[in-house]
Amino acid sequence: MSLRRPPPAVIAPHDSDSKKKRKVEDIYQALNSDPSDVSALRRMAISEGGLLTNEIRCKVWPKLLNVKTDDLPPPPGKELREDSEDYQQVLLDVRRSLRRFPPGMPDEQREGLQEELIDIILQVLQRNPQLHYYQGYHDIVVTFLLVVGERLATALVEKLSTHHLRDFMDPTMDNTKHILNYLMPIIDQVNPELHDFMQSAEVGTIFALSWLITWFGHVLSDFRHVVRLYDFFLACHPLMPIYFAAVIVLYREQEVLDCECDMASVHHLLSQIPQDLPYETLISRAGDLFVQFPPSELARAAAQQRAERTAASTFKDFELASAQQRPDAVLRQRFRERLRGEERTKSILTKPRTNRFVKLAVMGLTVALGAAALAVVKSALEWAPKFELQIFP
Amino acid sequence: MEEAAELESSLELSYSSVGGLPPARSRIFKIIVIGDSNVGKTCLTYRFCAGRFPERTEATIGVDFRERAVTIDGERIKIQLWDTAGQERFRKSMVQHYYRNVHAVVFVYDMTNMASFHSLPSWIEECKQHLVGSDIPRILVGNKCDLRSAIQVPTDLAQKFADTRSMPLFETSAKNPNDNDHVEAIFMTLAHKLKSHKPLMLSQPPDSDKIHLKPELKPAMTCWC
Repeated sequence: MSLRRPPPAVIAPHDSDSKKKRKVEDIYQALNSDPSDVSALRRMAISEGGLLTNEIRCKVWPKLLNVKTDDLPPPPGKELREDSEDYQQVLLDVRRSLRRFPPGMPDEQREGLQEELIDIILQVLQRNPQLHYYQGYHDIVVTFLLVVGERLATALVEKLSTHHLRDFMDPTMDNTKHILNYLMPIIDQVNPELHDFMQSAEVGTIFALSWLITWFGHVLSDFRHVVRLYDFFLACHPLMPIYFAAVIVLYREQEVLDCECDMASVHHLLSQIPQDLPYETLISRAGDLFVQFPPSELARAAAQQRAERTAASTFKDFELASAQQRPDAVLRQRFRERLRGEERTKSILTKPRTNRFVKLAVMGLTVALGAAALAVVKSALEWAPKFELQIFP
Repeated sequence: MEEAAELESSLELSYSSVGGLPPARSRIFKIIVIGDSNVGKTCLTYRFCAGRFPERTEATIGVDFRERAVTIDGERIKIQLWDTAGQERFRKSMVQHYYRNVHAVVFVYDMTNMASFHSLPSWIEECKQHLVGSDIPRILVGNKCDLRSAIQVPTDLAQKFADTRSMPLFETSAKNPNDNDHVEAIFMTLAHKLKSHKPLMLSQPPDSDKIHLKPELKPAMTCWC
């Protein structure tokens, strides 16, 4: 397979067209240098438009995951389905996942892909008995299947499952819950008012669960948006999806604050993700937040979040109580003051305003982010030793 | 994708069907719907809140929420249905948050799938752990009764089980349009029960003299105690 021939230029008017064309050239240049310039590829997966086409994704995604395309796992044997204890659950979930396939695809073709989807999932599980299937995993795998095809998807998904998705695939979801605990501290850093409102509503974080564990594949109906986000997440730290989740909540600040302050209203609002989000802007913001508030700084707050949750759950009549009357509010407030004091001395970037983000030059950001994605690998070890490092070469 | 929009709009649908927003102080009945994967929890809640069967549903990840405003004996009441993921790993560490302050529990099994019936004791046990010392109403719903030739769970077996657990049993189909009223009746019966049972959350005193159990409900039902 030759990597030297660029695909036909995308036909679009003027500026964006030439920008795109230049980016395509840059990507192929990074691909074709020997060895491939993975840092450059990572930056381009993050920067505006991501990797642009599925043809490019077929070539770049393996590089981002450090997967050798000439050494793919063998096709599964016939016994695969019989031996699998997950088969029934996978079958149920894949059969119901019609929305993940392009509208208008003939049934026969879709059914063939669904069979392949089942095989990929079962094969990865079979080869990695430490991994456990979860509902939503199929939403991630289908994205890879549709972009790179069955064989390569198996290799990419296997790597992803033992790295980025590793925590979701534990025997229990405790680690997944722990990652969700990063959500509120991130929101608190940027918008304490929104944070406090959500805490008073006791909305929890489950509204973001499907976002996190499917990398938004379960909730976005336009496949182009899904693959754009996958470019971004594949190039970044495994916790980036939770930053992106926070950015979506922050973006919807006004809607949230206009909600009735109760669990049901806020959960309902947030779990219905708008389909017309300004993805490029939000990606920039997520990257920016990651640089400002890396996971290592949030780890303590996330742990505290867990403690609070336990404390709060013993308090029964929350619907009757106002925020001021709740015993845990005092604790929470004290903790936050402590944290904020430290943050303030550390950075003038604390509590940035929204419009500041928009003004950030995309290139400047992505350079910083590319560096950040590498720099924070160490902090990943602090909170989850399971992430291995070869994924960031 | 249309279906997604449809599913998501069930909340709005329910509001518009009763004309505008409910009054600010209307009572809320929070009902959690649990059971194995693929027994039809999403379809049942959708049927009640949107009035019809969704053409396509996907696996529920985490917890979904649907709501409908109803009027019972002249009082506006919001019925909130919390639709939960069926896969065991979700319920172990994710769903507990949503057991808090629930007023009723609906256990669902698939009448064409014996395994989903056999899972009920563990669901019931888990529910007990989350709702310690609580005597909230619980009901048992066998779904997919329209698939007559595929039934694996006979009514008498289910009824016996329901009796030992002191739960009323309903067999229904979220899909069969003839059963539309039936799904409606199940949740409305529950709502009546809740309304008459005790004051819930907000200030209004309950109408304790009115207990509306619909005697025509079929095919199976036992007392509430």
